[in-house]
Amino acid sequence: MNRLKHLPTLRITPGAARSFTYGKHTFEGLQGDTVATALFANGVRVFGRSLKYHRPRGLYSLDGECSNTLMEVDGVPNVRTETTPLTAGIRVAAQNVMGRPELDLLGVLDAFSWAMPAGFYYRMFHRPARVWPLAIQQIRKAAGLGRLSPDFRMPGRFDEIYPAADVCVLGGGPAGLSAALAAAERGLRVILLEARPWLGGAFEYRAADDGDGVALHRKARDLAAAVAARPEIRVFTQAPAIGVYSDGQVTAFQRGGPDQSFDERYIEIRAAAVVVATGCGERPLLFEHNERPGVMQPACAQRLARTWGLLAGTEAVFSVGHDLGLEAAVDLFDLGLKVAAVADIREDGQDPTLVKALAQRNIPLLKGWVARKAHGGNRVTGATLTSVNGRFHRRLTCDLLAAAAGLTPATGPLTLAQSQLAFDPHTGYFLPRTLPKGLQAAGRLLGLESWAAVTASGRRAGLQAAADAGADCQAAIRESEAALRDLPGAVRGSKFVIAPGCGRKAFICFDEDTTVKNVDQAMAMGFDVPELIKRFTSAGTGPGQGGIPGHNLPLYVAQTGLSPDAHPRPTTARPPLVPTLLATYAGAQHDMSKRTPLHDLQVACGGRMERVGVWTRARRFTDDPRCRTEILNVRTNVGLLDASTLGKFLIFGPDALKALQRVYVSDMARMTPGRAKYSAMCNDDGCITDDGVVVQTAENDYYFTTSTARAGVTVEWFRYHTRYDGWCYHLVNLTDAYGVLNLAGPKAREVLSRVTTADVSNAAFPYMGYREMAIHGVPVRALRLGFVGELSYELHVPSSYMPALWDLLMEAGRLEGIRPFGLEAQNALRMEKGHLIIGSESEQRTTLHDVGLGFLWQREKADQRLVGAAALMQTERQPGRLKLVGFKMADPSGPPPRDGSPIVDARIRGYVCTARYSFTLKEPVGLALVEDGLAQEGARLAIYEDGCQGQLTHAVVTPYPFYDPEGRRLRQ
Amino acid sequence: MAFTITCPVCGPRDGYEFRFGGEDKGPRPEAADLTPAAWCDYVHMADSRPGVQKEWWVHRQGCGAWFTIHRDTVANQEVSLNLLEAAE
Amino acid sequence: MPSVSLKRVSPIALPGRPARTEECHGWPVVLSYAEEGGGPWVADLSHRPRWDLQGPDLDRQQPLGHTIPVRPGEVHLAGGLLINRLNASQAALWHLAGDFPEPPTDPALTEVTEATLCLALAGSRLFGITEKLTSLDLAAPGHTAPRLLQGPFGHVPCQLAVFPGPPGPPMLVFTCSRGYGHDMLHAVLAAGEEFGLRPAGQATFEKALTAHIH
Repeated sequence: MNRLKHLPTLRITPGAARSFTYGKHTFEGLQGDTVATALFANGVRVFGRSLKYHRPRGLYSLDGECSNTLMEVDGVPNVRTETTPLTAGIRVAAQNVMGRPELDLLGVLDAFSWAMPAGFYYRMFHRPARVWPLAIQQIRKAAGLGRLSPDFRMPGRFDEIYPAADVCVLGGGPAGLSAALAAAERGLRVILLEARPWLGGAFEYRAADDGDGVALHRKARDLAAAVAARPEIRVFTQAPAIGVYSDGQVTAFQRGGPDQSFDERYIEIRAAAVVVATGCGERPLLFEHNERPGVMQPACAQRLARTWGLLAGTEAVFSVGHDLGLEAAVDLFDLGLKVAAVADIREDGQDPTLVKALAQRNIPLLKGWVARKAHGGNRVTGATLTSVNGRFHRRLTCDLLAAAAGLTPATGPLTLAQSQLAFDPHTGYFLPRTLPKGLQAAGRLLGLESWAAVTASGRRAGLQAAADAGADCQAAIRESEAALRDLPGAVRGSKFVIAPGCGRKAFICFDEDTTVKNVDQAMAMGFDVPELIKRFTSAGTGPGQGGIPGHNLPLYVAQTGLSPDAHPRPTTARPPLVPTLLATYAGAQHDMSKRTPLHDLQVACGGRMERVGVWTRARRFTDDPRCRTEILNVRTNVGLLDASTLGKFLIFGPDALKALQRVYVSDMARMTPGRAKYSAMCNDDGCITDDGVVVQTAENDYYFTTSTARAGVTVEWFRYHTRYDGWCYHLVNLTDAYGVLNLAGPKAREVLSRVTTADVSNAAFPYMGYREMAIHGVPVRALRLGFVGELSYELHVPSSYMPALWDLLMEAGRLEGIRPFGLEAQNALRMEKGHLIIGSESEQRTTLHDVGLGFLWQREKADQRLVGAAALMQTERQPGRLKLVGFKMADPSGPPPRDGSPIVDARIRGYVCTARYSFTLKEPVGLALVEDGLAQEGARLAIYEDGCQGQLTHAVVTPYPFYDPEGRRLRQ
Repeated sequence: MAFTITCPVCGPRDGYEFRFGGEDKGPRPEAADLTPAAWCDYVHMADSRPGVQKEWWVHRQGCGAWFTIHRDTVANQEVSLNLLEAAE
Repeated sequence: MPSVSLKRVSPIALPGRPARTEECHGWPVVLSYAEEGGGPWVADLSHRPRWDLQGPDLDRQQPLGHTIPVRPGEVHLAGGLLINRLNASQAALWHLAGDFPEPPTDPALTEVTEATLCLALAGSRLFGITEKLTSLDLAAPGHTAPRLLQGPFGHVPCQLAVFPGPPGPPMLVFTCSRGYGHDMLHAVLAAGEEFGLRPAGQATFEKALTAHIH
């Protein structure tokens, strides 16, 4: 297709060809094309098929307001080709098509639209239920847009950025540009977001002038250049705003490309003030077949010509309701388009200059007329116009029907920012009635039209925003307001929505194939408010996020007079205003997890690493998921576990003991030097939240450990529960400062004695002892604990020395057969021993009593208003609670039940916490939380496992610990 | 959510940096004479009034301080104490 | 028992070819890298001694012989020592350059060198890198003196000492939990890639720090 050349407004580079494929064809576009304009230039008119009826759809607008032009590009479905720049070599394909877009075998569905009234999906298929699985398959085959395979990985480079500014301006038209300049002149940092690739808004392609002989596109580009020259203004183009929140937070995304470091990035802006200058779009006109390929918005036809050098047809009919529509007709005529007629909904009030221009070109102007029907199938072949009173008709031949009811303001950002909108009969717009603090609105979305008024309102808003951001500019604001008052105000707009006498196929929403008839059906069924109609008919819920139905839905409903809403209101906009890729929200994809100092060493030893909470840890060191070798080696020789993730804290200061007494259930005043005290913490409900050991290292000076999961909230917990007391104590989180090596097994002492001169004999360093010792000069805090049920030493080592100490111990224990063990082995070992993991053997409602740790609670300790004391008192003998029990399987030859399996009779009576095959006892054992009636020894438990098909397995409640119940081994 | 909270140590910050700690209900009641119902009210019941209320927040991503602010729960905006006092 | 001198390991390894190295108190320290270039750089300061100081009367304390700044967020730079006031009862001491001092014995001071990763980032386009990692306004105008912020950076809580300069180039020294070291470095390098961020050694850092002192 030949392009218009030498227009000053063109954004393409003639001669810079970019070839790409479309289906089986190879096409050429130009640098500066979007994928959609390049396809259009190559003669593509049917871009895809609609969701339900498979109607042919074409280019209608150019900013991605509807799903008409969604296509698959390089394997990515649902790409908005209208806003995607053309790059060489891309592969484009149509979607939701069986065959070709021009000849879609499912197009026959359009003839059955009578069978798919509003809400048919909800109403037709719920009875009989057995039809539903069949129906859903067929519907899914025929409906929907792009296809995505379950293992699809989004290609591309994604990033994120969090820029700060004083003023954030949404919209890069003359209003936004003026606002940005005004704020920048006050020395403020300004961010300007523009969805299109260039600035200038709806003025940058217009050849008309405001009577001063300077073309509007020239003025717009001069203003854009002035903004570009200000270092205080940061411009983000191809960056639509997607969210506006209170306190000046604005979110957006930006499209990048080969020349940038990203393909798309998430933008989150913090500003002191926000200016919304997002302008207007054209309001779709409702008439029969108003979405046929060849029907498009006048501005779409005008921009195709002015920006991309493409004439959208050879002979056109215009049906408009605004002066800009008339201007487009004149402009396109001058560029070579034949114009058969221009229908204008308005009886009068047209700009006389434009009326004269039409007359000079012998273009018939039909005042008080409107398009009623588009003829043709894959392409428009003609249009029927009708007088607004419906009495007269004329049929004209054309291949382009440029139609719009008028303009509609882009109020989405205002709504998101909690601005109240109200319908204004003069403009026919929803205008902001209130603006929250720090939010300003400017430009065409207020109904202004002339260059002077639009820029003056931008300047006023920019100054106001500067004042909101703290600048002193009241005098300038007053001046700008006075200037604005002297200029033309908001122009009269058209409320008109729908042509008289149009039939069943007038589409209010293209994305969801919602017709005016569907809206009528919804209203007949009692859905009389736009918000309800939107949900029942799906109008505005598609990929265009209401871009096409926009304000037409509430205006149409208001026109029927059947809605109880006296004042029409737009349906609620929600973020994201423009559909955003999930990959963009994911941003740079830095998965921030913690690694222990032994991470690399454990990987080198064959450790299978996995994410456990914030940490990445070694689950096991062999292929055996049951970890037989690791487990037996701890029971017979000695093993080494990386327990670095344990929480480790110092607490000191005159009130340290009071704080400990507040949160720990035991009496922390009773501590023995050199001995660790095991205790637990509860919440205010008496439910157990944490356990660990506490060591007193000096007067008012303690060292304590928490479970891994609680390390991150421990300081917060202490401070919260003492927030009214004004106590003087200090906490230092040393969780990451120390790595922890758990040297466990009957031969642990021999190994330890080889690396330290400290006396580690049973007499000198007994069970539950705490010692500070040196290992090759490294200061180590050593605790003799027995979580896995064997003689074991928990060595707290400065993190930087951990790899060296690991090597040292592995070398020292070679004769004893030392080997690393992981979380899975530890889990089985400690469960055999009946030791708990909070969160495995407890849940939200499990009290200290329920897990058998009630003995830790010292109720007579000096009153420090222990957290949970009241609830511990109340729940001590409360019936009906789940209690922790041990169990063995009725059939010991079977496998252990899966963790979490419910224990049932006629209803659920509890669940399995942890169950494993015990290599020591040679049968499965486990711990479960069960109702107190089932908690007696010998009680029979029926276990329901996922996928058991009703075949329950049975277990018998057994005393625990299963292993070394006298606790000899950890004291040896 | 997106609103600004003024940390007494770090100044105004993004609401995302904080964790809510409940309405301000005063110190823990003495255990003596405490009925289970009264205890449950203290721990679990909130006024949830539409309007300005005093509540606890912790700057968990920042300095870690626990502090109170006044917040208008309808507008979801922090209200400065000076403004409150001026209004009274 | 043979006395082995044990090696210490930093939480991270910068991806560069060390040109000059030394050992310092068991830590291997890179003084400079082969190709540091003239652009923005990142240096690993995790081996430098750091203390947490807490007490009710910080204004009367003189840790390592220096006074503590009065207001939270204030930073004193005394030789190679950075003293950051965190809140009413807490300060952070970072000894970033020069010979390691004698470990203080005051119980109010807890050595936390091992608890954190410590990185320095600098260059004229520093804030272009940092705004990809944090919503904190590190480039807020109106600051010339160094200041301390506590807040999210790379989506994890950090202590951030910002040196806006001049005289030195914009510089950021920050700490986060040691366990996040690997992923934090990954995030910093990825954010800096488009700006040509490269590893630098202790010598480069000390030069930049000196520029901020004078």
